[in-house]
Amino acid sequence: MKTVRGARAVLVIVLLPVVVVVVGGLGSAIMQSVGLMPLIGPVRFNLDAYAATAQDLPVAIGVSLAIAASSTAIAALVGTAAALVVVSGGWLGRLVGMAGAVTISIPHLIGAATIGLLLADSGVLPRLLGIDADAWPPLVGGPWWVAVIAGFAWKESAFVALVVAGTLLTRVAQFDEPAALLGAGRIARIRMIFLPLAAPSLIVASTIVFIYTLGSYEVAWLLGRTYPEPLAVMAIRLFNDVSLTSRTESAAIAVVTVVLAFAAVAVASVAVRRMAVWR
Amino acid sequence: MPPMHSSSPHRRPWQTLLTATVALGGVIGLAGCTAPSAGTASTFSTWNSVVTAADGQTVNLWMFGGDEQGNAYIDEILAPAAAEEGVTLNRVPVTDTKDALNRVLTELQAGRVDDGTVDLVWVNGDNFRTGKEAGAWLCDWTAMLPNMANVSATDPLLTSDFGTPVDGCEAPWSKAQFSIAYNAAVVTDPPTTVDGILEWAKANPGRFTYPAPPDFTGSAFVRQVLYSVSGGYQNVSAEYSTDAFNTLSPELYETLAELAPSLWRGGDTYPADSTQLNKLYADGQIDMTITYGPATLTKLVEDGTYPPQTRVLELTDGTLGNASFLAIPSNAAHQAGAMVVANIALSVEQQVAKANPATWGQFTVLDLSKLTSIEQQQFADLPQSTVVPSFDVLSRNANPELSAAWVPALDEGWRTRVPTR
Repeated sequence: MKTVRGARAVLVIVLLPVVVVVVGGLGSAIMQSVGLMPLIGPVRFNLDAYAATAQDLPVAIGVSLAIAASSTAIAALVGTAAALVVVSGGWLGRLVGMAGAVTISIPHLIGAATIGLLLADSGVLPRLLGIDADAWPPLVGGPWWVAVIAGFAWKESAFVALVVAGTLLTRVAQFDEPAALLGAGRIARIRMIFLPLAAPSLIVASTIVFIYTLGSYEVAWLLGRTYPEPLAVMAIRLFNDVSLTSRTESAAIAVVTVVLAFAAVAVASVAVRRMAVWR
Repeated sequence: MPPMHSSSPHRRPWQTLLTATVALGGVIGLAGCTAPSAGTASTFSTWNSVVTAADGQTVNLWMFGGDEQGNAYIDEILAPAAAEEGVTLNRVPVTDTKDALNRVLTELQAGRVDDGTVDLVWVNGDNFRTGKEAGAWLCDWTAMLPNMANVSATDPLLTSDFGTPVDGCEAPWSKAQFSIAYNAAVVTDPPTTVDGILEWAKANPGRFTYPAPPDFTGSAFVRQVLYSVSGGYQNVSAEYSTDAFNTLSPELYETLAELAPSLWRGGDTYPADSTQLNKLYADGQIDMTITYGPATLTKLVEDGTYPPQTRVLELTDGTLGNASFLAIPSNAAHQAGAMVVANIALSVEQQVAKANPATWGQFTVLDLSKLTSIEQQQFADLPQSTVVPSFDVLSRNANPELSAAWVPALDEGWRTRVPTR
C-alpha cells in the first residue's frame, strides 16, 4: 500500500509541472487567441485573430510541414544508419557514437549559426572551394530551405541515432547472435531483426523530431527566407510586432501549431500501437 | 498492484493537487484580463530624493546589443560614471528593442507592476508609441533631471518622437541621421538622390538590397523611398491616415516591386536585418549599405571590415533624422537609479565622449548654444572622419520622421505587396 501511495505521489510531483505548463500556457494562448486576454481594450470573445491570419496560414502551414517532414525523413534515415553502425561496434561504431554525442550537446542556435557560416554565399565552403558568391547556389535563404533542413537534419539525426541505438543495444544481441549462428546473412538480419526492433523507438523519436522542428523558430529565422514564413517564425514576428493587437494573432498561430503537433502525435501513436513488437 | 480506492475516505491527494493546478493555471491566465491603461507618473518630487533613493541600486539597461561600439561605450564609459554616483549599470543586450518592450508588456500583463526586470530602455519611434499607448512608461520625470537644462525645449526632434508627444516619458540621448554608405572604389558616379539610388540599383543588378521590414533599418529605407516617390517629405503628411496611406502607398510598392528583380538574389529574398545587410556589404556582395547609425562606419572602415573606400552618399533631397531616448518602464524596480543614469548620460562629458567617432560617434542632443564656450570647444575638437561627413552636412535638409502609426502600416503593406509577387 505504502509503496503504491509513494509511487502516486512521485507521479503527481512529476506531472504537476506538465499540467501547469499545458493548462497555464496552452490555456492562456487559447484565451489570448480568442480575445479573452487583450493587452489593451475590452475583454470580448471573438475570432478576429484567426480571421486576420487566415490568408497567410495555408502557406505558412505548408512551409512548416514541408520543412518538418523533410528534416524528419532525413534525420530518421541517417539516424537509423548511424545507430546500426554504433550497434555493430568496433572503432567505427565508437567514432559514430562519439560524433553523435558531440552533436547532441551543441545548442540549435549555435549549430544554425555554424551552418550559416559554412553554407552562405560568402561562407567558408564556397571560399574553400574557390566558388564565387554569385555562382554558389542559394542554400541559405534560398527557395528550397536547404540550410534550414540541413541544420535540423544534422542535429536531429544524432538524436534519432541515440534513441534507436539505445533500444537496439539492450535487445538486439539475443536475437542477432542466434540468427547469425543459424546462418542468416547481414541483409537478412538487418531486415528481419534490426529494423523491426528499431521501428517503435524510431517512430517515437521521429515524432519528437517532427514536433520539435514544427515549433522551432531560431533555425528557420536565421537560415530561412523572409517570405514565405513558417508558422513559428510568423508567431514570433507577430508576438514581437509593435501593434498591440498582433499578440492575439501570434497566439492564434501558436494554437494552430499545437493542433498540428497533436495530430502528428495521434498518427504516431496509432502507428506504434500497430507494431508487432509493441504487442 | 492493489487498487487504491479503499485507502482514503476523503478526496485523493492527486485530485486535490490537480484541481489546484488547474485553478492556478486559470489564475495565471486571468491575471492579464485587467489591461493597463494610462501611463504612470513619477512619484518623486525633488531631484535630491531621487539621488538618495538611487544610491546602491543596480539599473538594468535593456538596449540593442548588435552595436559593439555602443556596448563598449556603455560598459567602459557610462557605467563607471554611474558607479561614481553609487549606481551599478548593468547592460542587458537584446536583438531588437521590441524584446525589451515585450518583456515589460508581458510583466504588466502578468500583474507584475512594481518590481519589473527592465529599468531603462534605449528606445524611440513605434516602440515608444506602443509602450505609451499601453501605459508601459513612467512619465513626467525628465524635467527633474538637472542636465535637461542644456537641452532645447523647442527642438521638434526632441519634443515629439516619430509624431508621438514625448511628455516627459523618455529622456533624450542621441540624434541619428539615416545614411547610405557606398564603396567609392566600385560606385564611381555616386547617386545624389534617393531616386538616383534606385536607378543605380537597376543599372547594377544584384549589387543593392535592403533589410526586409519590419527590421528598423529596412523600414526606414521604405519610408525614405515613400518620400522620394511622393516628391519630397513635404507631400507626405506626418500624421497617419488611411486616406493618405491609400493615396501614397501604391506608387511606393509599385516602385519597390519593380526594383526587386534588380536587387541581390533578384529580390527573391531579403536580408532579415541590418546585421545581415552589413555582412553582405562587408563581404563585397553588394556595393551599398544602409544605416541609421552612420557613426559606426568610421570604425568599421578602420578595422578593415568595410572596404577602405567606403563613403556616405550626400543626398540633395536629404535623409530621415531622428532622436533616440532613454525610457523607464512604469513597473521598473529601480526607477531612481534609472533617472540618475539618464541624467549622467545627458552630461556634457558623456555627450562629448559618445559623439567621438572613435568611441561611438552618436550625435549629441544638447543645444550647443546653451553651453559655455569651453564646452562648445569640446564638441568642436572632436576628430573628423574621412568616411562620414559632419552632422551639420549630414543633416542638411533633414527629413522629419513620419508619425509612428505610419510604420506598422507601411511594413505590413510591404510584406504583403512586395516580396509576394
